[in-house]
Amino acid sequence: MYLYLPVALTSINVLIPVGLGLLVGLLSGLFGVGGGFLMTPILIMFGIPSTVAAATDSNQIVAASVSGTYAHWKVGNVDFKMGIYLLAGGFLGGLVGVEGIKILRAMGDADFVIKITYVLMLGIVGTYMFVESLQSIRKKKHEETLEQKGSKVAIFLRSLPLQTHFEKSGVTHSAIVPIILGGLVGVLAAIMGVGGGFLMVPVMFYVLRMPMHVIVGTSLFQILFTCIEVTFLQSYTNHTVDFILAVLLLIGSTIGAQVGATFGRKLKGDQLKILLAVIVLAVTVKIVFELTLSPSLLLSQGGGH
Amino acid sequence: MKLQNWVGKAFIIFQVAVMFLVVFFTGRASAQLTAKANHDHITVDFFYHGSTVSVRGVSDPDTDLIIKLTCDDDHQVLRKKGKVGGLLWMNVGELKIENVPNVYYIHSTKDVEDILSRDEINKYIIGYPALERHIKMNVQDEGEKTRWFNEFVKFRESSNLYATTTGKISLSEKDGVQNYYILTQWPYQAPPGHYTVTVYAVRDKKVIETATSSVLVEQVGMVKSFADMARNNAAAYGMISILAALGAGFGVGLVFRKNGGAH
Repeated sequence: MYLYLPVALTSINVLIPVGLGLLVGLLSGLFGVGGGFLMTPILIMFGIPSTVAAATDSNQIVAASVSGTYAHWKVGNVDFKMGIYLLAGGFLGGLVGVEGIKILRAMGDADFVIKITYVLMLGIVGTYMFVESLQSIRKKKHEETLEQKGSKVAIFLRSLPLQTHFEKSGVTHSAIVPIILGGLVGVLAAIMGVGGGFLMVPVMFYVLRMPMHVIVGTSLFQILFTCIEVTFLQSYTNHTVDFILAVLLLIGSTIGAQVGATFGRKLKGDQLKILLAVIVLAVTVKIVFELTLSPSLLLSQGGGH
Repeated sequence: MKLQNWVGKAFIIFQVAVMFLVVFFTGRASAQLTAKANHDHITVDFFYHGSTVSVRGVSDPDTDLIIKLTCDDDHQVLRKKGKVGGLLWMNVGELKIENVPNVYYIHSTKDVEDILSRDEINKYIIGYPALERHIKMNVQDEGEKTRWFNEFVKFRESSNLYATTTGKISLSEKDGVQNYYILTQWPYQAPPGHYTVTVYAVRDKKVIETATSSVLVEQVGMVKSFADMARNNAAAYGMISILAALGAGFGVGLVFRKNGGAH
Protein backbone atom coordinates (compact mmCIF):
# COMPACT_ATOMS: atom_id res chain seq x y z
CA MET A 1 0.00 0.00 0.00
CA TYR A 2 1.27 3.45 -0.93
CA LEU A 3 0.83 6.60 1.16
CA TYR A 4 1.34 10.15 -0.02
CA LEU A 5 3.71 12.21 2.15
CA PRO A 6 2.44 15.82 2.35
CA VAL A 7 5.82 17.48 3.07
CA ALA A 8 8.19 15.18 1.18
CA LEU A 9 5.71 15.48 -1.76
CA THR A 10 6.19 11.92 -2.81
CA SER A 11 4.33 8.66 -2.54
CA ILE A 12 5.96 5.76 -0.72
CA ASN A 13 5.15 2.12 -0.15
CA VAL A 14 4.36 1.98 3.59
CA LEU A 15 6.35 -1.24 3.91
CA ILE A 16 9.55 0.75 3.26
CA PRO A 17 9.43 3.16 6.25
CA VAL A 18 7.75 0.60 8.53
CA GLY A 19 10.31 -2.06 7.54
CA LEU A 20 13.15 0.44 7.85
CA GLY A 21 11.82 1.46 11.27
CA LEU A 22 11.71 -2.20 12.29
CA LEU A 23 15.30 -2.75 11.13
CA VAL A 24 16.71 0.36 12.79
CA GLY A 25 14.58 -0.20 15.91
CA LEU A 26 15.90 -3.75 16.07
CA LEU A 27 19.48 -2.44 15.92
CA SER A 28 18.53 0.15 18.54
CA GLY A 29 17.18 -2.49 20.87
CA LEU A 30 20.15 -4.74 20.28
CA PHE A 31 22.95 -2.20 20.52
CA GLY A 32 21.51 0.75 22.46
CA VAL A 33 22.06 3.34 19.71
CA GLY A 34 19.46 5.78 18.34
CA GLY A 35 19.78 4.45 14.82
CA GLY A 36 19.52 7.81 13.10
CA PHE A 37 22.95 7.40 11.56
CA LEU A 38 21.51 4.50 9.56
CA MET A 39 17.93 5.75 9.16
CA THR A 40 18.63 9.07 7.42
CA PRO A 41 20.89 7.80 4.59
CA ILE A 42 18.54 4.90 3.90
CA LEU A 43 15.56 7.28 3.66
CA ILE A 44 17.58 9.38 1.20
CA MET A 45 18.27 6.20 -0.78
CA PHE A 46 14.49 5.67 -1.09
CA GLY A 47 13.90 9.10 -2.61
CA ILE A 48 13.09 11.23 0.44
CA PRO A 49 14.75 14.67 0.10
CA SER A 50 17.80 14.76 2.40
CA THR A 51 16.61 17.71 4.50
CA VAL A 52 13.17 16.08 5.04
CA ALA A 53 14.84 12.76 5.92
CA ALA A 54 17.08 14.37 8.56
CA ALA A 55 14.33 16.50 10.15
CA THR A 56 11.76 13.68 10.18
CA ASP A 57 14.25 11.29 11.70
CA SER A 58 14.73 13.72 14.61
CA ASN A 59 10.97 13.56 15.15
CA GLN A 60 10.89 9.77 15.33
CA ILE A 61 13.91 9.70 17.66
CA VAL A 62 11.82 11.76 20.13
CA ALA A 63 9.46 8.79 20.42
CA ALA A 64 12.21 6.17 20.59
CA SER A 65 14.20 8.03 23.24
CA VAL A 66 11.22 8.97 25.44
CA SER A 67 10.27 5.34 26.01
CA GLY A 68 13.91 4.51 26.79
CA THR A 69 14.31 7.45 29.19
CA TYR A 70 11.05 6.51 30.90
CA ALA A 71 12.21 2.93 31.42
CA HIS A 72 15.60 4.00 32.81
CA TRP A 73 14.12 6.71 35.04
CA LYS A 74 11.82 4.10 36.62
CA VAL A 75 14.88 2.11 37.80
CA GLY A 76 16.88 5.23 38.80
CA ASN A 77 19.40 5.13 35.96
CA VAL A 78 19.20 8.74 34.77
CA ASP A 79 21.78 11.31 36.01
CA PHE A 80 19.62 14.43 35.68
CA LYS A 81 22.41 16.79 36.72
CA MET A 82 24.74 15.48 34.01
CA GLY A 83 21.79 15.37 31.61
CA ILE A 84 20.95 19.04 32.20
CA TYR A 85 24.58 20.09 31.56
CA LEU A 86 24.56 18.03 28.36
CA LEU A 87 21.23 19.61 27.45
CA ALA A 88 22.53 23.15 27.91
CA GLY A 89 25.22 22.39 25.33
CA GLY A 90 22.75 20.45 23.20
CA PHE A 91 20.32 23.37 22.85
CA LEU A 92 23.12 25.70 21.77
CA GLY A 93 24.43 23.06 19.37
CA GLY A 94 20.94 22.52 17.92
CA LEU A 95 20.57 26.23 17.18
CA VAL A 96 23.98 26.33 15.51
CA GLY A 97 23.19 23.20 13.48
CA VAL A 98 19.78 24.40 12.21
CA GLU A 99 21.16 27.82 11.25
CA GLY A 100 24.16 26.09 9.67
CA ILE A 101 21.99 23.85 7.50
CA LYS A 102 19.99 26.92 6.35
CA ILE A 103 23.19 28.61 5.24
CA LEU A 104 24.42 25.41 3.58
CA ARG A 105 21.11 25.02 1.75
CA ALA A 106 21.30 28.59 0.50
CA MET A 107 24.79 27.84 -0.76
CA GLY A 108 23.56 24.61 -2.35
CA ASP A 109 26.11 22.49 -0.50
CA ALA A 110 23.90 20.94 2.22
CA ASP A 111 23.79 17.48 0.67
CA PHE A 112 27.52 17.37 0.21
CA VAL A 113 28.27 18.49 3.76
CA ILE A 114 25.73 16.03 5.19
CA LYS A 115 27.29 13.21 3.19
CA ILE A 116 30.86 14.13 4.11
CA THR A 117 29.84 14.34 7.77
CA TYR A 118 28.19 10.95 7.45
CA VAL A 119 31.27 9.42 5.89
CA LEU A 120 33.45 10.70 8.70
CA MET A 121 31.08 9.79 11.53
CA LEU A 122 30.05 6.42 10.18
CA GLY A 123 33.65 5.58 9.32
CA ILE A 124 34.83 6.49 12.80
CA VAL A 125 31.98 4.73 14.60
CA GLY A 126 32.15 1.65 12.37
CA THR A 127 35.89 1.29 12.73
CA TYR A 128 35.69 1.97 16.46
CA MET A 129 33.03 -0.68 17.02
CA PHE A 130 34.84 -3.20 14.85
CA VAL A 131 38.14 -2.71 16.65
CA GLU A 132 36.47 -2.51 20.08
CA SER A 133 34.59 -5.76 19.59
CA LEU A 134 37.78 -7.48 18.43
CA GLN A 135 39.60 -6.10 21.46
CA SER A 136 36.89 -7.28 23.81
CA ILE A 137 37.64 -10.81 22.63
CA ARG A 138 41.23 -10.24 23.76
CA LYS A 139 39.93 -8.70 26.95
CA LYS A 140 43.10 -8.40 29.01
CA LYS A 141 44.94 -6.34 26.40
CA HIS A 142 41.83 -4.19 25.88
CA GLU A 143 41.55 -3.28 29.55
CA GLU A 144 45.21 -2.29 29.67
CA THR A 145 44.75 0.06 26.69
CA LEU A 146 41.68 1.63 28.27
CA GLU A 147 43.45 2.20 31.53
CA GLN A 148 46.32 3.93 29.76
CA LYS A 149 44.05 6.16 27.64
CA GLY A 150 41.76 6.88 30.59
CA SER A 151 44.54 8.17 32.80
CA LYS A 152 45.79 10.71 30.24
CA VAL A 153 42.32 12.05 29.58
CA ALA A 154 41.51 12.11 33.31
CA ILE A 155 44.56 14.29 34.08
CA PHE A 156 43.50 16.79 31.40
CA LEU A 157 39.87 16.86 32.63
CA ARG A 158 40.93 17.39 36.25
CA SER A 159 42.93 20.45 35.19
CA LEU A 160 39.81 22.25 33.86
CA PRO A 161 37.97 24.87 36.02
CA LEU A 162 34.37 24.64 37.45
CA GLN A 163 34.80 21.12 38.85
CA THR A 164 31.54 19.64 40.18
CA HIS A 165 30.48 16.24 41.54
CA PHE A 166 27.85 14.13 39.75
CA GLU A 167 26.42 11.96 42.49
CA LYS A 168 24.38 9.51 40.42
CA SER A 169 27.35 8.77 38.16
CA GLY A 170 29.86 8.95 41.02
CA VAL A 171 32.29 11.17 39.05
CA THR A 172 33.70 14.70 39.34
CA HIS A 173 34.19 16.84 36.23
CA SER A 174 34.36 20.42 35.03
CA ALA A 175 30.86 21.64 34.02
CA ILE A 176 32.41 22.77 30.72
CA VAL A 177 33.00 19.18 29.57
CA PRO A 178 29.38 17.95 29.36
CA ILE A 179 28.31 21.33 27.91
CA ILE A 180 30.82 21.04 25.06
CA LEU A 181 29.98 17.36 24.46
CA GLY A 182 26.24 18.16 24.47
CA GLY A 183 26.85 21.01 22.03
CA LEU A 184 28.67 18.72 19.64
CA VAL A 185 25.82 16.20 19.71
CA GLY A 186 23.28 19.02 19.17
CA VAL A 187 25.05 20.18 16.02
CA LEU A 188 25.18 16.62 14.68
CA ALA A 189 21.51 16.02 15.50
CA ALA A 190 20.45 19.16 13.62
CA ILE A 191 22.59 18.54 10.55
CA MET A 192 22.30 14.78 10.22
CA GLY A 193 19.04 13.95 11.99
CA VAL A 194 20.73 11.61 14.45
CA GLY A 195 20.23 11.42 18.19
CA GLY A 196 23.96 11.23 18.76
CA GLY A 197 23.84 8.22 21.09
CA PHE A 198 26.30 6.28 18.95
CA LEU A 199 28.84 9.04 19.63
CA MET A 200 27.77 10.10 23.11
CA VAL A 201 27.77 6.62 24.68
CA PRO A 202 31.46 5.82 24.00
CA VAL A 203 32.51 9.40 24.88
CA MET A 204 30.66 9.23 28.22
CA PHE A 205 32.25 5.86 28.90
CA TYR A 206 35.83 6.71 27.95
CA VAL A 207 35.97 10.47 28.66
CA LEU A 208 33.50 11.04 31.49
CA ARG A 209 34.14 7.58 33.04
CA MET A 210 30.45 7.11 33.92
CA PRO A 211 28.98 3.69 34.77
CA MET A 212 27.41 2.03 31.72
CA HIS A 213 23.86 1.65 33.04
CA VAL A 214 23.69 5.38 33.95
CA ILE A 215 25.24 6.36 30.59
CA VAL A 216 22.42 4.79 28.57
CA GLY A 217 19.63 6.43 30.60
CA THR A 218 21.33 9.84 30.72
CA SER A 219 22.24 9.74 27.03
CA LEU A 220 18.63 8.97 26.11
CA PHE A 221 17.40 11.79 28.38
CA GLN A 222 19.75 14.25 26.66
CA ILE A 223 18.94 12.97 23.16
CA LEU A 224 15.20 13.22 23.87
CA PHE A 225 15.32 16.93 24.66
CA THR A 226 17.83 17.75 21.94
CA CYS A 227 15.63 16.04 19.33
CA ILE A 228 12.50 17.82 20.64
CA GLU A 229 14.29 21.11 20.07
CA VAL A 230 15.64 20.05 16.66
CA THR A 231 12.21 18.79 15.52
CA PHE A 232 10.59 22.10 16.48
CA LEU A 233 13.28 24.22 14.87
CA GLN A 234 13.25 22.14 11.67
CA SER A 235 9.44 22.44 11.48
CA TYR A 236 9.42 26.14 12.25
CA THR A 237 12.43 27.28 10.24
CA ASN A 238 12.79 24.85 7.35
CA HIS A 239 9.29 23.23 7.14
CA THR A 240 10.95 19.86 6.56
CA VAL A 241 9.32 17.56 9.15
CA ASP A 242 6.97 15.08 7.45
CA PHE A 243 4.56 13.99 10.17
CA ILE A 244 3.16 11.07 8.21
CA LEU A 245 6.62 9.69 7.44
CA ALA A 246 7.56 10.08 11.13
CA VAL A 247 4.48 8.09 12.19
CA LEU A 248 5.30 5.30 9.70
CA LEU A 249 8.88 5.14 11.01
CA LEU A 250 7.63 5.10 14.61
CA ILE A 251 5.35 2.14 14.04
CA GLY A 252 8.33 0.08 12.93
CA SER A 253 11.02 1.42 15.24
CA THR A 254 9.07 1.09 18.50
CA ILE A 255 8.14 -2.52 17.78
CA GLY A 256 11.64 -3.25 16.45
CA ALA A 257 13.26 -1.85 19.58
CA GLN A 258 11.22 -4.20 21.78
CA VAL A 259 12.07 -7.21 19.65
CA GLY A 260 15.73 -6.16 19.56
CA ALA A 261 15.94 -5.73 23.34
CA THR A 262 14.43 -9.19 23.84
CA PHE A 263 16.84 -10.86 21.38
CA GLY A 264 19.77 -8.81 22.67
CA ARG A 265 19.60 -10.62 26.00
CA LYS A 266 19.91 -13.99 24.26
CA LEU A 267 22.69 -13.31 21.74
CA LYS A 268 26.43 -12.84 22.18
CA GLY A 269 27.41 -9.16 22.37
CA ASP A 270 30.66 -9.39 20.41
CA GLN A 271 28.95 -11.09 17.45
CA LEU A 272 26.27 -8.41 17.39
CA LYS A 273 28.76 -5.56 17.66
CA ILE A 274 30.84 -6.91 14.78
CA LEU A 275 27.67 -7.31 12.72
CA LEU A 276 26.65 -3.70 13.43
CA ALA A 277 30.16 -2.47 12.64
CA VAL A 278 30.01 -4.26 9.27
CA ILE A 279 26.59 -2.68 8.53
CA VAL A 280 27.83 0.80 9.46
CA LEU A 281 30.99 0.39 7.37
CA ALA A 282 28.93 -0.89 4.42
CA VAL A 283 26.79 2.28 4.52
CA THR A 284 30.01 4.33 4.70
CA VAL A 285 31.42 2.59 1.62
CA LYS A 286 28.14 3.16 -0.22
CA ILE A 287 28.29 6.93 0.44
CA VAL A 288 31.97 7.01 -0.55
CA PHE A 289 31.00 5.41 -3.88
CA GLU A 290 28.26 8.02 -4.31
CA LEU A 291 30.79 10.81 -3.86
CA THR A 292 33.43 9.33 -6.16
CA LEU A 293 31.50 7.56 -8.96
CA SER A 294 29.90 9.62 -11.74
CA PRO A 295 26.26 10.34 -10.83
CA SER A 296 23.55 9.35 -13.31
CA LEU A 297 21.96 12.80 -12.91
CA LEU A 298 23.88 16.06 -12.68
CA LEU A 299 20.89 18.06 -11.42
CA SER A 300 18.87 17.85 -8.22
CA GLN A 301 15.99 19.83 -6.78
CA GLY A 302 16.94 23.14 -5.20
CA GLY A 303 16.38 23.67 -1.48
CA GLY A 304 14.07 26.64 -1.90
CA HIS A 305 13.28 29.72 -3.87
CA MET B 1 -41.20 35.00 -51.60
CA LYS B 2 -40.53 32.99 -54.75
CA LEU B 3 -37.18 34.65 -55.09
CA GLN B 4 -36.28 33.84 -51.45
CA ASN B 5 -37.28 30.18 -51.89
CA TRP B 6 -35.26 29.97 -55.03
CA VAL B 7 -32.16 31.44 -53.31
CA GLY B 8 -32.61 29.05 -50.36
CA LYS B 9 -32.89 26.01 -52.58
CA ALA B 10 -29.88 27.12 -54.63
CA PHE B 11 -27.78 27.48 -51.43
CA ILE B 12 -28.69 23.98 -50.25
CA ILE B 13 -27.85 22.56 -53.67
CA PHE B 14 -24.53 24.41 -53.56
CA GLN B 15 -23.68 22.99 -50.10
CA VAL B 16 -24.54 19.43 -51.21
CA ALA B 17 -22.43 19.93 -54.32
CA VAL B 18 -19.44 21.14 -52.28
CA MET B 19 -19.75 18.18 -49.89
CA PHE B 20 -20.06 15.83 -52.87
CA LEU B 21 -16.90 17.31 -54.42
CA VAL B 22 -14.99 17.08 -51.10
CA VAL B 23 -15.98 13.45 -50.61
CA PHE B 24 -15.42 12.66 -54.27
CA PHE B 25 -11.90 14.07 -54.41
CA THR B 26 -10.71 13.25 -50.88
CA GLY B 27 -12.81 10.19 -50.19
CA ARG B 28 -13.46 11.55 -46.65
CA ALA B 29 -15.81 13.85 -44.76
CA SER B 30 -14.49 16.67 -42.51
CA ALA B 31 -14.89 16.88 -38.72
CA GLN B 32 -14.22 19.54 -36.14
CA LEU B 33 -11.31 18.70 -33.82
CA THR B 34 -12.38 17.84 -30.26
CA ALA B 35 -10.45 16.90 -27.13
CA LYS B 36 -11.78 15.43 -23.90
CA ALA B 37 -9.74 14.25 -20.90
CA ASN B 38 -11.42 11.58 -18.78
CA HIS B 39 -10.14 13.12 -15.52
CA ASP B 40 -10.42 16.88 -15.31
CA HIS B 41 -9.94 16.89 -11.54
CA ILE B 42 -7.33 14.66 -9.89
CA THR B 43 -7.48 14.69 -6.11
CA VAL B 44 -4.35 14.01 -4.04
CA ASP B 45 -5.28 12.19 -0.84
CA PHE B 46 -3.28 9.86 1.41
CA PHE B 47 -3.68 6.95 -0.97
CA TYR B 48 -2.71 8.90 -4.08
CA HIS B 49 -0.04 7.17 -6.14
CA GLY B 50 -0.49 8.90 -9.47
CA SER B 51 -3.39 8.38 -11.82
CA THR B 52 -4.21 7.75 -15.45
CA VAL B 53 -5.48 10.34 -17.86
CA SER B 54 -6.97 9.41 -21.20
CA VAL B 55 -7.60 11.91 -23.98
CA ARG B 56 -10.04 11.16 -26.78
CA GLY B 57 -11.81 13.06 -29.52
CA VAL B 58 -12.42 13.31 -33.23
CA SER B 59 -10.42 14.97 -35.95
CA ASP B 60 -10.39 15.49 -39.65
CA PRO B 61 -9.26 12.38 -41.49
CA ASP B 62 -5.80 12.48 -43.06
CA THR B 63 -4.51 14.81 -40.37
CA ASP B 64 -1.71 13.90 -38.01
CA LEU B 65 -2.13 14.64 -34.35
CA ILE B 66 0.11 16.01 -31.61
CA ILE B 67 -1.06 16.01 -28.01
CA LYS B 68 0.74 18.33 -25.57
CA LEU B 69 0.13 18.04 -21.84
CA THR B 70 1.70 20.84 -19.84
CA CYS B 71 1.18 23.60 -17.29
CA ASP B 72 1.96 27.31 -17.10
CA ASP B 73 5.59 28.36 -17.41
CA ASP B 74 7.41 28.81 -14.12
CA HIS B 75 10.95 29.35 -12.92
CA GLN B 76 13.07 26.53 -11.57
CA VAL B 77 16.12 26.60 -9.32
CA LEU B 78 18.14 23.39 -9.43
CA ARG B 79 21.46 22.32 -7.97
CA LYS B 80 24.24 21.50 -10.38
CA LYS B 81 26.64 18.68 -9.58
CA GLY B 82 30.21 18.86 -10.73
CA LYS B 83 33.53 17.24 -9.99
CA VAL B 84 35.59 19.15 -7.46
CA GLY B 85 39.31 18.60 -7.08
CA GLY B 86 39.13 15.95 -9.77
CA LEU B 87 37.81 13.45 -7.21
CA LEU B 88 34.54 14.24 -5.46
CA TRP B 89 31.14 14.93 -6.99
CA MET B 90 29.43 17.80 -5.22
CA ASN B 91 26.96 20.64 -5.79
CA VAL B 92 28.77 23.39 -7.65
CA GLY B 93 26.08 26.04 -7.98
CA GLU B 94 22.53 26.75 -9.07
CA LEU B 95 20.90 26.39 -12.44
CA LYS B 96 18.14 28.97 -12.85
CA ILE B 97 15.64 28.36 -15.63
CA GLU B 98 12.90 30.77 -16.69
CA ASN B 99 9.78 30.10 -18.81
CA VAL B 100 9.83 26.39 -18.12
CA PRO B 101 6.86 24.15 -17.29
CA ASN B 102 6.97 21.63 -14.43
CA VAL B 103 5.34 18.97 -16.58
CA TYR B 104 5.78 18.53 -20.33
CA TYR B 105 4.39 15.59 -22.31
CA ILE B 106 4.32 15.38 -26.09
CA HIS B 107 2.56 12.51 -27.86
CA SER B 108 2.40 12.44 -31.64
CA THR B 109 1.23 10.11 -34.37
CA LYS B 110 4.55 10.57 -36.25
CA ASP B 111 7.89 12.24 -35.54
CA VAL B 112 7.15 15.91 -34.92
CA GLU B 113 10.00 17.03 -37.22
CA ASP B 114 8.49 14.98 -40.08
CA ILE B 115 4.99 16.42 -39.87
CA LEU B 116 5.54 20.03 -38.79
CA SER B 117 7.72 22.87 -40.10
CA ARG B 118 10.39 24.37 -37.83
CA ASP B 119 8.48 27.67 -37.65
CA GLU B 120 5.33 25.92 -36.49
CA ILE B 121 7.30 23.79 -34.00
CA ASN B 122 8.74 26.96 -32.46
CA LYS B 123 5.45 28.85 -32.60
CA TYR B 124 3.58 26.17 -30.63
CA ILE B 125 6.63 25.03 -28.55
CA ILE B 126 6.30 21.39 -29.54
CA GLY B 127 9.19 19.08 -28.65
CA TYR B 128 12.40 19.43 -26.66
CA PRO B 129 14.36 21.49 -29.24
CA ALA B 130 11.54 24.07 -29.31
CA LEU B 131 11.36 24.09 -25.51
CA GLU B 132 15.12 24.63 -25.32
CA ARG B 133 14.79 27.67 -27.60
CA HIS B 134 11.84 28.95 -25.51
CA ILE B 135 13.46 28.83 -22.05
CA LYS B 136 16.06 31.14 -20.50
CA MET B 137 18.96 29.83 -18.47
CA ASN B 138 21.79 31.41 -16.42
CA VAL B 139 24.61 29.93 -18.49
CA GLN B 140 27.52 31.38 -20.46
CA ASP B 141 26.75 30.30 -24.03
CA GLU B 142 24.51 28.20 -26.29
CA GLY B 143 26.74 25.15 -25.90
CA GLU B 144 26.36 25.27 -22.12
CA LYS B 145 22.62 25.85 -22.54
CA THR B 146 22.24 22.71 -24.66
CA ARG B 147 24.37 20.66 -22.26
CA TRP B 148 22.39 21.69 -19.16
CA PHE B 149 19.05 21.53 -20.99
CA ASN B 150 19.78 17.90 -21.87
CA GLU B 151 20.65 17.25 -18.21
CA PHE B 152 17.43 19.02 -17.21
CA VAL B 153 15.35 16.81 -19.52
CA LYS B 154 17.10 13.70 -18.15
CA PHE B 155 16.35 14.87 -14.60
CA ARG B 156 12.69 15.55 -15.36
CA GLU B 157 12.26 12.29 -17.30
CA SER B 158 13.69 10.37 -14.32
CA SER B 159 10.83 11.79 -12.21
CA ASN B 160 8.31 11.00 -14.98
CA LEU B 161 7.52 14.70 -15.38
CA TYR B 162 8.75 15.01 -18.98
CA ALA B 163 8.23 12.54 -21.83
CA THR B 164 7.81 12.39 -25.59
CA THR B 165 6.32 9.45 -27.44
CA THR B 166 5.55 8.68 -31.06
CA GLY B 167 2.89 6.29 -32.33
CA LYS B 168 1.07 5.74 -29.04
CA ILE B 169 -2.05 7.60 -30.16
CA SER B 170 -4.67 5.10 -31.35
CA LEU B 171 -6.49 6.15 -34.53
CA SER B 172 -9.61 4.70 -36.10
CA GLU B 173 -11.93 5.90 -38.84
CA LYS B 174 -15.68 5.61 -38.84
CA ASP B 175 -18.25 7.38 -40.98
CA GLY B 176 -15.56 9.51 -42.54
CA VAL B 177 -14.37 10.79 -39.12
CA GLN B 178 -11.05 10.02 -37.44
CA ASN B 179 -11.32 9.01 -33.76
CA TYR B 180 -8.24 9.21 -31.61
CA TYR B 181 -7.44 7.97 -28.12
CA ILE B 182 -4.43 7.89 -25.81
CA LEU B 183 -4.04 6.64 -22.23
CA THR B 184 -1.23 8.22 -20.20
CA GLN B 185 0.10 7.55 -16.71
CA TRP B 186 -0.20 10.64 -14.53
CA PRO B 187 2.90 10.78 -12.30
CA TYR B 188 2.48 11.18 -8.52
CA GLN B 189 5.51 13.47 -8.64
CA ALA B 190 3.53 16.11 -10.59
CA PRO B 191 2.79 18.93 -8.14
CA PRO B 192 -0.75 20.19 -7.58
CA GLY B 193 -1.90 22.79 -10.11
CA HIS B 194 -3.70 23.47 -13.37
CA TYR B 195 -2.66 21.50 -16.46
CA THR B 196 -3.69 21.92 -20.08
CA VAL B 197 -4.10 19.24 -22.73
CA THR B 198 -3.76 20.73 -26.22
CA VAL B 199 -4.44 18.66 -29.32
CA TYR B 200 -2.97 19.92 -32.62
CA ALA B 201 -4.34 18.67 -35.94
CA VAL B 202 -1.52 18.87 -38.50
CA ARG B 203 -1.58 18.77 -42.26
CA ASP B 204 0.99 19.85 -44.86
CA LYS B 205 3.53 20.75 -42.12
CA LYS B 206 1.10 23.20 -40.55
CA VAL B 207 -1.20 23.23 -37.54
CA ILE B 208 -4.66 23.54 -39.04
CA GLU B 209 -6.71 23.26 -35.88
CA THR B 210 -6.30 23.07 -32.07
CA ALA B 211 -8.53 21.91 -29.25
CA THR B 212 -7.90 22.06 -25.51
CA SER B 213 -9.03 20.40 -22.33
CA SER B 214 -7.92 21.07 -18.76
CA VAL B 215 -6.87 18.91 -15.79
CA LEU B 216 -6.79 20.19 -12.20
CA VAL B 217 -4.58 18.39 -9.66
CA GLU B 218 -5.50 19.34 -6.12
CA GLN B 219 -4.51 18.22 -2.62
CA VAL B 220 -7.58 17.40 -0.54
CA GLY B 221 -8.55 16.38 2.98
CA MET B 222 -5.83 15.59 5.51
CA VAL B 223 -3.01 15.82 2.94
CA LYS B 224 -4.00 19.41 2.21
CA SER B 225 -4.40 20.16 5.94
CA PHE B 226 -0.94 18.78 6.78
CA ALA B 227 0.76 20.52 3.84
CA ASP B 228 -0.94 23.85 4.63
CA MET B 229 -0.18 23.56 8.33
CA ALA B 230 3.49 22.70 7.75
CA ARG B 231 3.81 25.84 5.60
CA ASN B 232 1.47 28.34 7.24
CA ASN B 233 1.31 27.28 10.88
CA ALA B 234 4.74 25.81 11.40
CA ALA B 235 4.91 26.31 15.18
CA ALA B 236 1.67 24.39 15.83
CA TYR B 237 2.72 21.72 13.30
CA GLY B 238 6.05 21.27 15.10
CA MET B 239 4.34 21.04 18.50
CA ILE B 240 1.83 18.45 17.25
CA SER B 241 4.67 16.39 15.73
CA ILE B 242 6.56 16.45 19.03
CA LEU B 243 3.50 15.69 21.18
CA ALA B 244 2.52 12.79 18.94
CA ALA B 245 6.04 11.34 19.19
CA LEU B 246 6.07 11.80 22.98
CA GLY B 247 2.67 10.11 23.27
CA ALA B 248 3.74 7.20 21.09
CA GLY B 249 7.02 6.82 22.99
CA PHE B 250 5.33 6.81 26.40
CA GLY B 251 2.66 4.42 25.15
CA VAL B 252 5.22 1.94 23.89
CA GLY B 253 7.29 2.41 27.07
CA LEU B 254 4.27 1.50 29.19
CA VAL B 255 3.45 -1.57 27.10
CA PHE B 256 7.12 -2.54 27.17
CA ARG B 257 7.22 -2.26 30.98
CA LYS B 258 4.01 -4.25 31.37
CA ASN B 259 5.53 -7.01 29.28
CA GLY B 260 8.56 -7.07 31.57
CA GLY B 261 11.11 -5.80 29.04
CA ALA B 262 13.87 -3.28 29.63
CA HIS B 263 16.26 -1.22 27.54
